[in-house]
This record gives sequence, C-alpha cells and structure tokens, in this order.
Amino acid sequence: MGPLIPNDIIPFEWNSIIAIVIGIFFGFILEASGFSSSRKLAGVFYGYDFAVLKVFFTAALVSAIGILYLDYLGYLDMSMLYIHPTYLWGAIIGGAIMGIGFVAAGFCPGTSLCAVAIGKIDAIVYVFGIMIGIFIFSQLYGLLDPIHNGYFQGYVTLMDSLDFDPYWFIFLFTIAAVIIFAFSDLIRKRVKKVFY
Amino acid sequence: MLNRKLVKVLSFRYVILAVVFVILAGGLLLLPKHEKQEGISPENLLANAFSPERYITTDELADRIINQDPSLLLLDVRDESSFKTYTLPNAINIPLSKVLEEDSQPYLNQNAFDVILFSNDNFHSDQAWILCNRLGYKNLHVLKGGLNEWYNTIINPKKPTENMASIEFEKYNFRKAASMYFGVAYPEKVVQKAEVKKYVPKQPEAPKKVVPKKKKKKMPLEGGC
Repeated sequence: MGPLIPNDIIPFEWNSIIAIVIGIFFGFILEASGFSSSRKLAGVFYGYDFAVLKVFFTAALVSAIGILYLDYLGYLDMSMLYIHPTYLWGAIIGGAIMGIGFVAAGFCPGTSLCAVAIGKIDAIVYVFGIMIGIFIFSQLYGLLDPIHNGYFQGYVTLMDSLDFDPYWFIFLFTIAAVIIFAFSDLIRKRVKKVFY
Repeated sequence: MLNRKLVKVLSFRYVILAVVFVILAGGLLLLPKHEKQEGISPENLLANAFSPERYITTDELADRIINQDPSLLLLDVRDESSFKTYTLPNAINIPLSKVLEEDSQPYLNQNAFDVILFSNDNFHSDQAWILCNRLGYKNLHVLKGGLNEWYNTIINPKKPTENMASIEFEKYNFRKAASMYFGVAYPEKVVQKAEVKKYVPKQPEAPKKVVPKKKKKKMPLEGGC
C-alpha cells in the first residue's frame, strides 16, 4: 500500500502541500516544547536539560518501530523509502561544523527558523550567519567539490553496513535509548539547576 | 482519593512510557518470521501474463536477424538434443530446467540485450518468461508460436492464393526472401541461375583503358601557424 505518493494513492501534486502542512505542525510542536529557546537547546551540552536528546531519540525510535511494524504487516514497502546517500567525509566534516555552530549559538537550523518566527533576536543573527556560511560555501564550491561529492558510499543504512537483523538492532537501540534517558536524568539532577 | 492515585501513577509516566517502548521493540523480535514476497507482486504478474506485449512475431524476428540487430540475444529453452538438431542462428541453449541456475543469470538478468526466448511452441518459453518476469528481469520477449511457427512462416512460407489481399503477397515475398537468407534453396531460383549461365555467353573483356591521372602538384608548405 504505502508509501502513499510513490504508489499514486495520493497524487504527486499534493506532495508540497502535505509537506507544508507537516512543516507547520513540526514548527508548532518545536515551539510548544520550548525548542526555540537557545538556552534549552544548549542545555544538552552543559548537562542541565536533556529535552533535545530525549525528543529526537524518541522521535527516531517511534518512527523506526512504526515503520518496521507497518512493513511487517504489509502496509508499507520499506524498500521504496528514500534513503539519504552517504558521502562519508562530507558528512563528518559538515557534522562537526554544524555541531560547533549548534553549541556556540544554541540553535540548529530548524529551531533557529522557529525562533525567528517568535522574534528572537539571537536567532535572527544566527540565520544571518547561516546565510553568510552558505555564501562562503558557494563561493568556495570549486575547492570543496571533491569533499562534497566524493567518498560516496551509496544508499546505505546501518543495518546494511553492519549486516545486522533490523529487529534486533531496533530492540538494542531502544534499550540503549532508555538507559541513556535514565543516565541523562541522573546527570541533570547532579548539575546545578539553571533557570531560564 | 482517585485523584491522588492517578497522581501517583502519573509520577511514573516516563517509566511507563519507556516500558511500553521496550515492549513494542521487543515485540518486533517475537513476531513470527515470514518469508517476504520477493520480485513483483501477484497483481503485476497477472497483468504481465495477460498482456501480449511480450510476444514477437516470426516476421519481426527474421527482419531483425537479417538486419543483424546487435541487441538481439536468442535463447533456446528446449533440451540440449533438440538444440543440437536445429536452432536459430547464434542462439544460446538454456533448457527450461536450468533457467534458475546461476550460470544462466547473466543471459537473463541484464539490460543490454533484447532477449528472445523460444521453444518448439511458445509454451515452454512462456513458462521461462513467467519465471523470469516473477524475478523482475527486464527485456524478455517470447517468440510467438516458437520454432513450429518459424518453420511454417519463414522457412516454408505458404503461397497466398490469388484472391488474397496484396499485403499477403508482400508478406510472402518477404518470407521467401528471408528463407533464402536462412539457407532454403528454391528450385525455380536455382534453375534460373543455371539458365543465366548457359545462355549468356561470356562477353570478351574490353581492354582496360588506362587513364593517366594527373598528379597534383604538391604546394610547398607555407608558414601556417
């Protein structure tokens, strides 16, 4: 049956409309759970708030478990899903740069737009910084192209490259997540309370 | 009273959610494993099986062989002894029983050639086609009517009667010419050839005229670049 759009159950033209609707809800929930505050986001790195870690871990797990169940029951063809291509060094370097930006400014690109929407000045500066970064990247593209398009590993998933049974992988991942949640709570209780 | 109990339960809400999570993930492990359907779905297979798209007529095939179509790959799915007795030119033998074997895969599962499956009728080749279609292989065709039809139309074409449409005559002419390409000798053609040899005396060869060719004077190279 699914995925709905590639199988023409929902016409292709609805693609962007659905994306916009989902995007609005995503932004709403980000803001509602306080993710447009850079203090909350940076809390992961300083150990006084692990909401970000918990939310994104939980989201990944809910979707992974849900997809596996839907695939098992035949409602979704997992092989038709989009898998992001892996450009190894591009991902590592880009991830490191984004991490530095994240801890320095307290926003990730999505939440920064969310914070701009509620009028946070630091987020406006942050988005301006993103624009400058994009400009520098595009100007140096000739230089960076071999990293950007090189080291292509194909459309691999962890389960493919580790040759692991997906069910076991998700189960162990879930247990690891629960342990990490409990552990992060312990840290949070030890660290001095920060009011924000 | 009830409210206080609810509060007590809800104070464990994250623990409860974590447990639900682990149970759901563990449930995945406990699900009875079933073999996943590989290849195309039964609905698609049925639609493909009904569609006559896979058939290629003997005329079309003969035309492509004569024009030496490089993308053609002929696969004979009959057994080896029949293959040795008679087959189409440049055909490869993959008996129906060996269609799924490892050695046959490079011929069947590829994108470069138009594979034409044939057997005596199109019965065995259709079966081979169904198997390969089920596996999702592309570019497979079946010779309509198989070698019997090939024999009846190309090798031994039937002469149309006088009251038939002109298109039948054209077809007959094509088939006759094709059969000659495939090595059938027609008595009237042979006789004609012999007659030509008999009655036309050899003409004395005209002395060759030697026309001196003027050699072009080579121009001295002038400074180019």
